[in-house]
Amino acid sequence: MKNTTKKLLASVLALMMLVSVVMIAASCGGNKPVESTTTESTQATETTGPDTPPVERVIETFKGDFTYKDSVGTMATNWNPHTYQTTDDSYPADFLRVGLYGFIFNDEIHPVEGKEAYKGYKIIPEMAASMPVDVTEAVKSAHPEFGIPASATKGYAYTIDLNPNAVWENGEKINADTYVYSMRRLLAPELLNYRAQDYITGSFVIANGDKYYYQGTTNLSDNGAGAGYTKADFTKGDDGFYYTPDGSQVYIGLDFPLDWTGGDTLKDYVEAYGSTYFDTSTWEELSALIDEDGLVAMTDASYELFLPVITGNPAWGETEGDAFNYFVIKTVYASDYDFSNVGLYKSGEYQITIVFAKSLAGFQLLYNLTSNWIVNETLYEANLSKVGDTDAWASTYNTSVETTLSYGPYKLVSYQKDKSMRFERNDTWYGYTDGEHIYVDPEDGKTYPMYQTTAVDCQVVSEAATRKLMFLKGQLMTYGLQTEDVAQYRNSDYTLVSPSETIFFFIFNGYKEAIDGREANEGFDTTKFDLQTMTLTSFRKAVAVTYDKEAMCSALFPDCSGGYGLIGDMYIYDPDTGAKYRDTDQAKQALCDFYSVDVSKFDSLDDAVESITGYDPVAAKELFKQAFDEAIEAGFITDADNDGKSDQVVRVEYCCSSAVTEKMQQRIDYLNEKMADVTKGTPFEGKIEFYPSAPYGNDWSTKIRTGLSDTILAGWSGSALDPFGLSDLYVNPNRSYDAKWFDATKVSVTMNVPVNGKATDVTLTLKDWSDALNGTTVTGANGTEYNFGEDQAEVETRLSILAKIESTVLQTYDYIPMIQDGSLFMLTQQAYYVIDDYNPILGRGGITYLKYNYDDAAWNAYVASQPDGTLSY
Amino acid sequence: MLKYTLQRIVLMFFTLFIITMMCFILVRMLPPVEIPIEDPHSVVIAQRREAMGYNKPYLVQFGIFIKDIFTRFDWGISDKLYFGQNVADIFIEKLPATIIVNLYSIILSIPIGILLGIWAALKKNTWIDHAISTLTMVVISVPSFVYAFLIQYFLSYKLGWFPFLMKGGTDWFSPAMFVSMLPAVLSLSFGVIAGFTRTTRAELTEVLTSEFMLLARTKGLTRRQATVRHALKNCMVVVVPAIFGEFIGIMSGSLIIEKIFAVPGVGSLYINSINGRDYPMFMMLTVFYTVIGLLASIVVDISYGFIDPRIRMGSKK
Repeated sequence: MKNTTKKLLASVLALMMLVSVVMIAASCGGNKPVESTTTESTQATETTGPDTPPVERVIETFKGDFTYKDSVGTMATNWNPHTYQTTDDSYPADFLRVGLYGFIFNDEIHPVEGKEAYKGYKIIPEMAASMPVDVTEAVKSAHPEFGIPASATKGYAYTIDLNPNAVWENGEKINADTYVYSMRRLLAPELLNYRAQDYITGSFVIANGDKYYYQGTTNLSDNGAGAGYTKADFTKGDDGFYYTPDGSQVYIGLDFPLDWTGGDTLKDYVEAYGSTYFDTSTWEELSALIDEDGLVAMTDASYELFLPVITGNPAWGETEGDAFNYFVIKTVYASDYDFSNVGLYKSGEYQITIVFAKSLAGFQLLYNLTSNWIVNETLYEANLSKVGDTDAWASTYNTSVETTLSYGPYKLVSYQKDKSMRFERNDTWYGYTDGEHIYVDPEDGKTYPMYQTTAVDCQVVSEAATRKLMFLKGQLMTYGLQTEDVAQYRNSDYTLVSPSETIFFFIFNGYKEAIDGREANEGFDTTKFDLQTMTLTSFRKAVAVTYDKEAMCSALFPDCSGGYGLIGDMYIYDPDTGAKYRDTDQAKQALCDFYSVDVSKFDSLDDAVESITGYDPVAAKELFKQAFDEAIEAGFITDADNDGKSDQVVRVEYCCSSAVTEKMQQRIDYLNEKMADVTKGTPFEGKIEFYPSAPYGNDWSTKIRTGLSDTILAGWSGSALDPFGLSDLYVNPNRSYDAKWFDATKVSVTMNVPVNGKATDVTLTLKDWSDALNGTTVTGANGTEYNFGEDQAEVETRLSILAKIESTVLQTYDYIPMIQDGSLFMLTQQAYYVIDDYNPILGRGGITYLKYNYDDAAWNAYVASQPDGTLSY
Repeated sequence: MLKYTLQRIVLMFFTLFIITMMCFILVRMLPPVEIPIEDPHSVVIAQRREAMGYNKPYLVQFGIFIKDIFTRFDWGISDKLYFGQNVADIFIEKLPATIIVNLYSIILSIPIGILLGIWAALKKNTWIDHAISTLTMVVISVPSFVYAFLIQYFLSYKLGWFPFLMKGGTDWFSPAMFVSMLPAVLSLSFGVIAGFTRTTRAELTEVLTSEFMLLARTKGLTRRQATVRHALKNCMVVVVPAIFGEFIGIMSGSLIIEKIFAVPGVGSLYINSINGRDYPMFMMLTVFYTVIGLLASIVVDISYGFIDPRIRMGSKK
């Protein structure tokens, strides 16, 4: 008996050892541990194109529970598509809602001509049944109320067939009535929905949507930020007042918050600075005319009083050409405007027609239709109520499980305010059975359904330290690396980089008049300090090559990389192919020009660009010497003791929006430290100092624009699909930070570009080049009209123009590119993305393409088997 | 006593009115949360402010606020933090989590604090007293979020005894919920324990050296008897009102602890409502906590009379 027991024990022990060896081998599998799920094969038939025979495809299935464990800092409180306001509130949208069209990666099943699998994307109908059909001509003749221009033949009206299989999670059908009802409620004037603006302003503008939304009201719009009319565009009425081409009255905004001043008014400035900056001789008479809206109706007389105020004092530096920035358009909207006049109507049980106020076509049309506005009528009305005795309405639609109905891949099953929310598979979603939502795994070549995740558990975890501990215990799927984690985890197999569009640059104060004013202030000791030197190009050029951008990122912004141009690495100029601007020869040449790289010394343009570091301490020293000589000559600084060094310290105020934090201080210390290194042995050794400003709050941009603060690390983020639109940010005086000292409306640039098929030298101002690039017809000095907008000029021409604008702006050294924004995060060992490369449109595919190595039960066992139950990354 | 109580209640309403009006006006004087002027949504924000009556004169708005409370008990609709939702409902929904975590904390910490205080007082100037006093000072000096992170690191991460965060759901008295609350409860308790230890020790030390204690011993009571019957009772004149204060404070929550352990309570509501200019939420919280504070002060003042009959408030004799 004893022997039998011993044998049994020995056998069990041997078996356990064998299992242990297998488990260790499995756990050493690196990034992708052995999958614990079993797959079953099912048969499905699909076609890959009109000319190819049907392919029998085996779709793998997943067995088990796969819960995506997520965390947020702030829990969504209102995900109503009509009223949500914040990014936090939009979190549930990815799970609960689907657009009319959607993006997926290109692969064997969804091929894109000329594109390798997973190197691009494909737009597929989701809530729509097919691609939109342009019906501009038909709608124009049948519905004159939509105001489609007589000359328009396409791009204004589309019919969209709806997906008849799309239903709410409770099985209720979603048809054309749903879309029309939802838009009517979205634009309802009494509801004042936050998201209404998304459909009446910008590029996606529903015809007459504004008239319905604003009915019975008077709207004041900032001309400089919107229409951009000049005085020549207006007509004078018989009453002596001026009117826009569409009949709205024109005013001068004296005590009206203007876009270009960051919300300040001209009156604020005149009262603050008086005759220092303005000609105030007519101000008293003019300001007496200000009405309750802060406006003065534009007449010849009022305009005559107004013009000297902004143009009469050189310190303000404006001309009549800048007057349009102060115009305000008053539009009076008729009452009782019927929704039937709005450009969205039912044209079939499962078909809607959309009419736009501005033409919209191609990629941009589909891109805009990737979001959706529909709401469930019964639930929406039940949760709508008036706020007390006020005129406001409030809705509790989409604020809880009870008030939410999904039509997306997941449904909300539990929600606790400021605590957690859980989504589970919505089995009524058409995507699980339509045969479209499948992909071919590039690794094993098998076909899998999208959305392997069966549930999403999201909870509030405010502290990064807690998130990290939970991640290491396998309780969260991702962890965004903090500065202190980067050294340890940067090279982990599980660390992923997500670049973003934004380039952060130093804006450098070049507004000499403002700087002179600051130096003239009582209390500024010109024997000890100087500000004027920073306006010298040689000085700014020296600063531009003083900092090693990659080293700076490593020290201060570990999840970012060095930034070299004004336009970031992620901007795509051709949405159909995903081609990036920064990869074009034109963009590369612009960088070489800016960094003075002689391309002829390299084997290729690529090699030349690769050589750019933006850091050249030797050149910096030379430039600082040159700047010293120029500053002495200009009388900005002195060298009384002839020691070859500046007597003054050039003080550069680093503009802070809030009180100086530890990180901000680190940044400033870093700037000073590296500056001290580079200026050693130059006349500015120990004579350049960055110091933090007082906290300016939201005023920081005004301080920079008006030269009252000297530098800041800032950036623009625009649409990743429109690098051309970015040019306006640097040359439009309403937007650019340096408008006070760099007038792009006066800088002429000549380029040789094809015009009517013939290479022609065209000279335009920088602003006009940008406007023409973005679709505005501009007139050259010779009276010729030019338009280099999309579909108006070859893309190569447009790229050359954009590169020239970028290069010209860079040469001002008003903007010194420093950082390409990005983020680092770790992904759990439990799952992986089907592709590693980051796609600017789809990222890595998100939850759609997330594939699991372990189901929930196997994962728990795997984590428990780790030393101390802690995962090693 | 009745007259005094009534006087205090009348005074309480007057104070409440003044505080409410001041807070109402002051918070509205803050500039609205700025969004970039070029953002088209700024138009809607401005329109909604107008529709909500926020552009009316402050006193008119205050009148409407008071009227809505008295006629409909309507505290308003959140316009920012919980868009469209009734602020009173939100507060009531979130209050239990705060109350329960704090309640467990004081149930745990008051007896421990008092016992440690008594022990230190009885062992005055011994190593036990020195150890307790030093530890008390250390605990009081270190902010509670430091304990929170230490507890989370050692008890949840290293030892795995507790979950990192408080459990979701509203099963407030389930064992799983209790266990999940313990890290937060412990984090909150250290400070309270130290506070009561210090107070009790100081009071009891003073009482133990009083002449009546000497008399008690000389008339034949043992040290234990004298301490329990006379010293402790006298020392409670200070300790009991502090206990009342702790119980009343359980509704205010702790911003930091609730954040760290994801307690879905009211701790961050106040600050968020100010930052977000969520006027209805701010005013409801202001009135609620002001009432609680004023009531607490009345209860504490009256409690002195019950604990120590020698104290006669409002009496002219």
